[in-house]
Amino acid sequence: MSRAAYLRLATLLLVWAAWEALARSGLVFQGVVPSSLTVLASAASELGSSNFYPHLWRSAEEIGVGFAIGSAAGVGLGTLMGVAVFLGRMAHPYIHVLAPTPKIIFLPVLMILFGVDIGSKIAMGAISAFFPVVVATYDSVRLVPPVLLRVARSFRASRWQTVVKVYFPSMLPAVVTGMRLGLGVAIIGTLLAEIKLSNRGLGFLAIQRYEGFHIPDLYAVLLIIFVLAVAANIAIGRVADRLQRRHVISRRTPSR
Amino acid sequence: MAEYGRDCRAQPFMTSGHGSAQASAVLTAEGIGKRFGSGATAVTAIDEVTLSVKQGELISVIGPSGCGKSTLFNIIGGLITDYEGEVRIDGRRVSGCHPDIGMVFQEESTFPWRTALENVEFPLEVRGLPAAERRQRAQQFLGLVGLTEFADRYPGELSGGMKARTAIARTLAAHPKILLMDEPFGALDEQTRLLLGDRLSQIHRELGQTTLLITHSITEAVHLSDRVVVMSYRPGRIKRVVDVDLPRPRSSEIIESEQFGHLVASIWHDLREEASRGLAADEASRRSS
Ligand SMILES: Nc1ncnc2c1ncn2[C@@H]1O[C@H](COP(=O)(O)OP(=O)(O)O)[C@@H](O)[C@H]1O
Ligand SMILES: [Mg+2]
Repeated sequence: MSRAAYLRLATLLLVWAAWEALARSGLVFQGVVPSSLTVLASAASELGSSNFYPHLWRSAEEIGVGFAIGSAAGVGLGTLMGVAVFLGRMAHPYIHVLAPTPKIIFLPVLMILFGVDIGSKIAMGAISAFFPVVVATYDSVRLVPPVLLRVARSFRASRWQTVVKVYFPSMLPAVVTGMRLGLGVAIIGTLLAEIKLSNRGLGFLAIQRYEGFHIPDLYAVLLIIFVLAVAANIAIGRVADRLQRRHVISRRTPSR
Repeated sequence: MAEYGRDCRAQPFMTSGHGSAQASAVLTAEGIGKRFGSGATAVTAIDEVTLSVKQGELISVIGPSGCGKSTLFNIIGGLITDYEGEVRIDGRRVSGCHPDIGMVFQEESTFPWRTALENVEFPLEVRGLPAAERRQRAQQFLGLVGLTEFADRYPGELSGGMKARTAIARTLAAHPKILLMDEPFGALDEQTRLLLGDRLSQIHRELGQTTLLITHSITEAVHLSDRVVVMSYRPGRIKRVVDVDLPRPRSSEIIESEQFGHLVASIWHDLREEASRGLAADEASRRSS
C-alpha cells in the first residue's frame, strides 16, 4: 500500500474511533449518535429483510433510467453543438448558466409534468446527469486535435467515418469523465426527490426511519446508500481509467 | 469544423486541358501562391512556386521556419483549396485530396486510441478492405519501418521516432504513387534522424515512390534527395535548386565525404541569409506583440 493509502485508512479509523468514543461517552444522547456496532447491526437487519429490496430496486431503476436518458441526451446535444458551430454559439451560454444551478429547484415543475410517482424521479435523475455530460461532450468535440482530422481528410474518409473513427474515440475519455460526474449528481437528484415526496425508494426509506425516530436504522440506510454510491463510482471510474490509459499522448519532445 | 466541412469526396479531381510539363513529371506545381488574411495584416506565405517531380525522384524542400513549406505541402496534398496556380498529377489538374497522394504530417499524428497496427490499418478501413487483408497489409508496412515487435503498442508507449515511423507506415499502406512528407522527423534528435533517414532511403529504394520531403535539416536534405529546393523567406519563393549527384545507394556515412560537405556548405550559403531574415522577423513580431 502507498503512503497516501495508509493515511486514508488512518483517517477513516480515526473518525470511527472518535464516533465510537462520542457514542460511549454519554456526552450526547444515545439516540443521536448510536454506537457504530448498533448501526452495523441495523444495516445487517435492513439487508436481511425482504422489505428493503423493493426500495433498493426502485431507486436503482430511477437512477439507472434517468442517468441513461440524461447521458444520451447530453452526448447527442453536446456533439451537435460541437459540430454545428452555430448551434454551439446559441446553446452554450444557457447551458453554462444552468449547469451549476441546483436541479432540485425544478422538482415542483417535474412533478407537475411527470407526476409525483416514478416519472418525476426519473426526470430528476435525467436533468441532473444531462448537464455534466453535455458540457464535457461539447468541450471534447472542440479538443479533437486538428491534425487527426486532417489525417482523416487526406485519406478521404467520409463524414460519417470521420465522426465514428476520429471524433468519437477522441472524445471518449472526456465524455466518460463527464458521465462519472453525471452519475454522482443523478444519484443525489433522485434521492432528494424521493426524500421530498415519494412512497418508495432508498430516499423514502431514510426519511421514514427519520420520521419514526429510528436513528440507528436511519444511519444504516445512509451507510448502505453511501456504500452503493461509492461502488457505482468505482465501477465507472475503472472504465474511465482503462480508456484514459490508451489516450496518454506523451509530449512531443526531442527523443528517440 | 470548417476544415472538416470541406469533404474531400465532394470534390474528386478534375481534368482540365493538357499537361504542359515534361512527360516524365509525375507531380507538377505551377505558379503556386497563397496569401493568408487581408489588408495590412495579410501575409504572402508563398509566391510563384513552380516545381516538377519526376517518376521515382526524391526532392527535398528546405527553408527557414515560416517560409511557407507546410503551406505548399497542404496545397499539393489538397487540404488547402483556395490558392493561386495549379497542381498537376500526370499532367492532369487536381483539386482536393487525391488518392494518388499520401501525406505524412509535421505534427504528431498517430491516433492515440489505436495500436500501431490499428493505426496503419486506418486508411485500409476507410477503403473498406476486408479485415484479414487489412491486417496482413498493415503488418507488412509496419515491418517495412521496423516496428513488427511494437504492433500491439499504443502510441503513448512508443518513442517519438517510433510514432513518426508508424505515421509513415500508415501513409505507405494506402499505396500512394506520390509521397508528401512534412518534416516527418522534425522533433527528433540529429542522430536518430540520420538513422531513420537511412531507413527512409531504403524504403524509397524498395517502393520507388515519387517523394517530396519537406525538411529544415540541410544534412537530411542532402543525405536523402536527388534534388534540393531552397526556399526564400517572406515571400516563400524558390531561391535555388541544387542537384545532389552523390552516388546511390547512400547511407548516413556519406556525411563524412568531402562532396557532401561541399553541398551542405553551398546550401547553407544560400539559406543563411533567409534564415537570418526569418529570425529577425520572428524577433520583431515578438517584440511588437
Ligand atoms: N492558417 C493560417 N492563417 C494565417 N497565417 C498562416 C496560416 N498558416 C500559415 N500561416 C503563415 O504563413 C507562413 C508560412 O507558414 P508555414 O507554411 O507553416 O511555414 P513553414 O512550414 O515553412 O514553417 C507563416 O508566416 C505563417 O504565420
Ligand atoms: Mg511547417
